[in-house]
Amino acid sequence: MAGVRGRETDRRKVLDDAARKRRARKAVEALEQDNFHEDPHADLVMSKKVPKFAESNEKPTRKKKSKSAEYYKLRFRKTFAQLVEEDASFRPEPPNYMSAQVPPSKFPERHFCAVCGFPSNYTCIPCGARYCSVRCLGTHLDTRCLKWTA
Amino acid sequence: MSESSCYILDNGGYTAKVGFSNQEPKVVPNCIMKAKSERRRPFIGSQIDECRDASGLFYILPFQRGFLINWDTQKTVWDYMFSKECCPVNFSDTPLIITEPLFNFSSIQEAITEIFFEEYDCTSLLRINATDLAEYNYRKTHNNKCTVVVDSGYSFTYIVPYINGKKYRDGIRRIDVGGKVLTNHLKEVLSYRQLNVMDETYVINQAKEDSCFVSQDFMQDMAIAKKKGSENTIVKDYVLPDYTSIRRGYLRDIVKPDEDLEQQTLRLNNERFSIPELLFHPSDVGIPQMGIPEAIMHSIAACPEENTENLLENIVLYGGNVLFPGFRDRVYNEVRSLALDHFDVNVTKADNPVTYAWEGGKQIFRDPDFYSFCVTREEYEEEGKALAFERFDI
Ligand SMILES: [Zn+2]
Ligand SMILES: [Zn+2]
Repeated sequence: MAGVRGRETDRRKVLDDAARKRRARKAVEALEQDNFHEDPHADLVMSKKVPKFAESNEKPTRKKKSKSAEYYKLRFRKTFAQLVEEDASFRPEPPNYMSAQVPPSKFPERHFCAVCGFPSNYTCIPCGARYCSVRCLGTHLDTRCLKWTA
Repeated sequence: MSESSCYILDNGGYTAKVGFSNQEPKVVPNCIMKAKSERRRPFIGSQIDECRDASGLFYILPFQRGFLINWDTQKTVWDYMFSKECCPVNFSDTPLIITEPLFNFSSIQEAITEIFFEEYDCTSLLRINATDLAEYNYRKTHNNKCTVVVDSGYSFTYIVPYINGKKYRDGIRRIDVGGKVLTNHLKEVLSYRQLNVMDETYVINQAKEDSCFVSQDFMQDMAIAKKKGSENTIVKDYVLPDYTSIRRGYLRDIVKPDEDLEQQTLRLNNERFSIPELLFHPSDVGIPQMGIPEAIMHSIAACPEENTENLLENIVLYGGNVLFPGFRDRVYNEVRSLALDHFDVNVTKADNPVTYAWEGGKQIFRDPDFYSFCVTREEYEEEGKALAFERFDI
């Protein structure tokens, strides 16, 4: 429900600090995603099963059945979060994965228009996003601002 | 014992660099892909070259946030890599060098040791950080004492100082920006400004590789990109692949409306340099971290002061992001301006930024002490995984 009326009602609302932080965190998480989209055809049966690759040139030195990919999935199943937690007890003292992360920059932050990406001088009052011109503000109000909830 | 060649696997989160030390490496996508056009066939590693229509490609990656998490996917891709279809090897008569991320988690380290000794029948194994191989490569050609290795890859950018060939762990710095963040950000801004490309990671990643550059003067380039007409030397159109006549997109000048070539294009203007800029200013997208040059200085400052001079003189850059035009010059100029005047600053871009660590593997195999770095199958069977933890400095 875009348009002038939508805008007028939106204008009375202001996103609180917590919601702004949540939105910012979601944006950063999206940037760090490895797979943006879910497998769109996960339920399709593969006509070709993931192929069994021929053993390399020579005959195997020991008689042994190769274990399946599924076996290793179950054998080594741990999420990233579990691994980070585990590391805190395995390598409790820095330097470790957590401590190696660089701190914030000493240089001032720069601000860019959320619409066109050029340097911006203004902040949207309802949501805190940046914009550079009346035109970009209009686009921002019509498309994002309070339109999508984080 | 000594074999004539070893097998080197630089197992990156996006591509694996793989091959025998006496041959050239292959760069293999370290993933399984599925395509809209051929829904019933998974493409493993380089099989993607057989895919006719790469629109809507979907990746399944073994790595998450820079670490090996999805073992079924990795096992499938490794089986492919070690098979006749890619780069066949018999580990029972060939030593293996495999790379791992810095600070790799202990259970992942254990799993790699186990799978190579027990599943792939490895006889000699060297697990090592890719930056160690890169440092070795650099030191063999420069005969220097200290090095700062900058690895700007898919998952993150690492800055690792080495003193007398040894990693100085207190100085290691990680910036959580890599090629993945850049591609995701480009997808996001293009989808908002022009055309929904959220499901086109593969194509937009190529658009990034073909179009982006590192600005030498960011505010000036912003001013140029604001200009209209021929004064704007930055704005270009990226012609998207249609998979009939165009297999890979390309950048071209803007044509006048009357000579529209009826190709689907994306207009790229400030995106061309504000995307790689995130490596220099992660805070531009709300990641509260230093950029590469500042992080290099932060890393060097954590090292013993007597090494400062030598470290500044030997900064080497590798990894896929280093391929952006202007990357080296920007790092050099900023480090130069941050460092004290009486120090020399040298920044070297690896000849081939993608395979630089792999080439280091080739060199380390020739080291007279190579086998003392490895763990053998007998040692593993006698002493178990604990020995691998002691010997490998991951
Ligand atoms: Zn704007
Ligand atoms: Zn707003």
